[in-house]
Amino acid sequence: MGFLAPWFLAGLAAVGIPVWVHLLKRHKTDPKLFPSLMFFEQREQSSVKHRKLDYLLLFALRAAMLILLALLFANPFIRRSIGASDGKKITVVAVDRSFSMRAGSRLQQAKDEALKVLGGLKPGDQAQVIALAGNVQALTQVVNDPAQLRAAVVAIQPSDSRASFGELARYLRTLADSQKLPLDVHLASDLQKSAMPPGFADLRVNPGTTLFFHPVGDPAPNWAVENVVAPRRVYDPKRVKLQATVASYGILDSKAAPVKKTVTLVLNGRTLQTKTVDVPANGRGQVEFLGLDAPYGFSKGEVRIDGGDALPGDDRYLFSVERADPRKVLFVDDGRHPRAELYFRDALDSAGDGAFTLESQRPESAAAATLSVYPFIVLNDLGNVPPALDSALQNYVRNGGSVLVALGPAAAVLPRVPILDEAIQTTDYAGREGDRFLSVIDVDTGHPALRSVDRFTGVKFYQTIRVNPTKSKVLAKMNDQTPLVMERSIGEGKVIAFASTFDNVSNDLPIHASWVPFVTQTAMYLGGGGAEQPVNLPVDSYVELRATDSANKGGSGAAAEVLDADGKRMLSLEESVKATNFQLDREGYFEIKTAAGRRSLIAAHADRRESDLAQIPKETLDLWKGTGSVEPQGGPGAGQLSENEKPFPLWPYILLLLLGVAVAESLVADRYLRPSVQEREPVTREAA
Amino acid sequence: MQRFLDPTVLAGISGLDLVARTVVDGFISGLHRSPDFGFSQEFAEYRSYNPGDDLRHVDWNVFARSEKMYLKRYRGETNCQLTILLDASRSMRYTSHKIDKLEYARYLTASLAYLASLQRDATGLTVFDDDVTQFVPPSTKQGQLARILHAVEKAEPGNRTDYAKPFAHLREFLHRRGLIVCISDFWQNPEEVIKTIAPLRFHGNEVVLFHLLDPEEIRPRLKQPALMEDLETGDTIEVSPDYVNKEYPAKIDAHLAALKSEAQGNGLDYFLVDTSRPLDAALREYLAIRTGRM
Repeated sequence: MGFLAPWFLAGLAAVGIPVWVHLLKRHKTDPKLFPSLMFFEQREQSSVKHRKLDYLLLFALRAAMLILLALLFANPFIRRSIGASDGKKITVVAVDRSFSMRAGSRLQQAKDEALKVLGGLKPGDQAQVIALAGNVQALTQVVNDPAQLRAAVVAIQPSDSRASFGELARYLRTLADSQKLPLDVHLASDLQKSAMPPGFADLRVNPGTTLFFHPVGDPAPNWAVENVVAPRRVYDPKRVKLQATVASYGILDSKAAPVKKTVTLVLNGRTLQTKTVDVPANGRGQVEFLGLDAPYGFSKGEVRIDGGDALPGDDRYLFSVERADPRKVLFVDDGRHPRAELYFRDALDSAGDGAFTLESQRPESAAAATLSVYPFIVLNDLGNVPPALDSALQNYVRNGGSVLVALGPAAAVLPRVPILDEAIQTTDYAGREGDRFLSVIDVDTGHPALRSVDRFTGVKFYQTIRVNPTKSKVLAKMNDQTPLVMERSIGEGKVIAFASTFDNVSNDLPIHASWVPFVTQTAMYLGGGGAEQPVNLPVDSYVELRATDSANKGGSGAAAEVLDADGKRMLSLEESVKATNFQLDREGYFEIKTAAGRRSLIAAHADRRESDLAQIPKETLDLWKGTGSVEPQGGPGAGQLSENEKPFPLWPYILLLLLGVAVAESLVADRYLRPSVQEREPVTREAA
Repeated sequence: MQRFLDPTVLAGISGLDLVARTVVDGFISGLHRSPDFGFSQEFAEYRSYNPGDDLRHVDWNVFARSEKMYLKRYRGETNCQLTILLDASRSMRYTSHKIDKLEYARYLTASLAYLASLQRDATGLTVFDDDVTQFVPPSTKQGQLARILHAVEKAEPGNRTDYAKPFAHLREFLHRRGLIVCISDFWQNPEEVIKTIAPLRFHGNEVVLFHLLDPEEIRPRLKQPALMEDLETGDTIEVSPDYVNKEYPAKIDAHLAALKSEAQGNGLDYFLVDTSRPLDAALREYLAIRTGRM
């Protein structure tokens, strides 16, 4: 028997409380007057003694309650052998097939180790083969067929995923709980330190689980292209700047001289530029390429370094760019606010990549335009939205288009915000004199459109349109709680409403520093300018194919499409109309067409944490091993458990006993404290 | 009328004379229906003439009809002297309800004095604690009742009880036999109490002990251990409810039994009065004894 938290046994000192209450405490109360104590004085001592005797049961129950409570917290357990009666156990053979196992012949060595373990099994022994990468993949059930187990090991192929020992431990805990048998786990892996979970507790395995490590490969120096920063879209090839980071790992002499690495920029298989960079030992070097002569459309790019290290797979880093002409943004204006168009156009033009140009139209002519060619449309304070335009905009948004609605004095006469479909309540004015203006106090700075607007600091709003947001999300609020920026998703598209104007009449936003970031980021967010999802993603990342809420509602039925590097479709027909996301399971280029119709080329690369081939220290491995044989929270009283023993917790029984004692204590105490019959009835003594 | 005998009702009446009249008049008016009790100057019985009897008491009408001599006897043909001893020690201050024992004793004293005055008995009063604090000699003079009531009204709780000195004092003034009523809570050893009081009996006096006790004194109620303080001595003792519930009743019962036994053994009349009960029981006792004294 032992205790998981023996320090709580100190609570046994609390038994002194009932001792004090029952035996030591003097009942100091106000004296009760009585005509004569002639029948009391003789029995003072004996009355105390009597009380001691009479309350002995109550005292015993109270002391027992405290003892049981202390025991409950100390969490006692008894050792109970598990599976010892029949000696059954399950052998789990785990083979690491993560990206780092591509180094040299590590995977083959791991498979050999696994086969060796399987060869040592006795006939009838149960075993399972699992593969470890981004997640744990059970290659077989728990079987006793050696041929099936060996075939599973032989069939293991390397992956581009990152190993996670935390996932392995979680799987082993689940398996041990479900099988109720001790596990012998043989892990054939390069035991990378980077595969450790953030917290050691995540490595915990159940008691009765024995870990055997079969390390393969040795730590070796490695260089890798760690990161490439490239624009998502290229509008002017000469203005493109591309940065690549080269890192080195595992160099034992940290003071060794920097190693020169040749970095090559390749686009669509054509080498564009080559540069040299000095990479310090266990450090990083950066190289910058100016100009990217990409053809129109999507291009597959990669940055390479010269090889000759342990892991050649990470010597290249894939990226993708799209060469496109600046896209036209439709600015629908009724001509009342000429300065609004001026400010908006200037803000768009001042964006570095020049992705958008502004095209202004009156509402009447816009109704006849083909709206689907515009990445997004701006409705600038329209006092009247023609029904044809309203209908066209509704269709445009449902099919994935985006609209930015500015509300001003003209829009205030409308009952509802166009497209956003929220009720307009009133118009709030503030005078220009004194401090009578509104300011923004609450901004969702995590939103892509408002990330760099500096919380609209210093911007004064003299007039805002108060909208009651029932279906929309409020992204920014004024100090009088008037919503300033609201967003709503409709179908595949989205609408953002700005409850003021874009000129400097209702506010002075256009002459503040936050104006240009607000316009450019909103434009990129609405127009798909690259803010929504990066084009370079590590393997095992998920790519969004359609909005979650549209999938829940059955969506519009539009199919999404994913083509892998070989041009094969990755989605089944059902997945293409229902799946909300897609996991990038290997390196390469993936052509994505979302349900909204947006096309993109995403480059997936192996997680660069796999490039560090440093191994887990032996002490850490011993600790990990120990989680399966020693109770993790064992204190001084826990003692050692043998491999075939499992702690059997006693707390449920103690809890039940405690409840029973508590009930008994209540009954006994009630009996003592209840007034006697004689006390309750008036004294009816007749004269003798 | 019974409700006027309730001590809690009497507590609302100011003036002991009014209390006494209320009690006694109401009490007597209830008694007229009872054949068991009578008053002085009432016919009691016939008795055969014996030589030596006073011929004045022979009923000559009966002799004329039957030629037999009978004596006609009347009750209360002699006046009785009533002496009331009122204990005004500090323990008489105790109460668990509206009126304390001393107040109850005042009503009882006043009622007895009034009843005696109706019968033209000489009435006296001695108020004592450990000494005699007030003394009204027995008399049938006019205004005696007022003097007694005034003395009773002025009786205040004093020190502890000591029977020796007051009773020695009483013996000095007791020249004529009569009825002695002692009203006290008798919180002393029964043997000592009776030993002190019994000598009064030697002169042919009838001695009645009215033992006044509050119901809480007979059956105290205690829910939790308490510190009890003696009203007379100021001593304190910690007492447990268990003791009070189990052992104290036995002791007080033994005390009462011993007091009664000792009193009866020495020819004293003993009567336990519960101060939560109406006064009529005590008055009945008095009248029963008074009738027997005739």
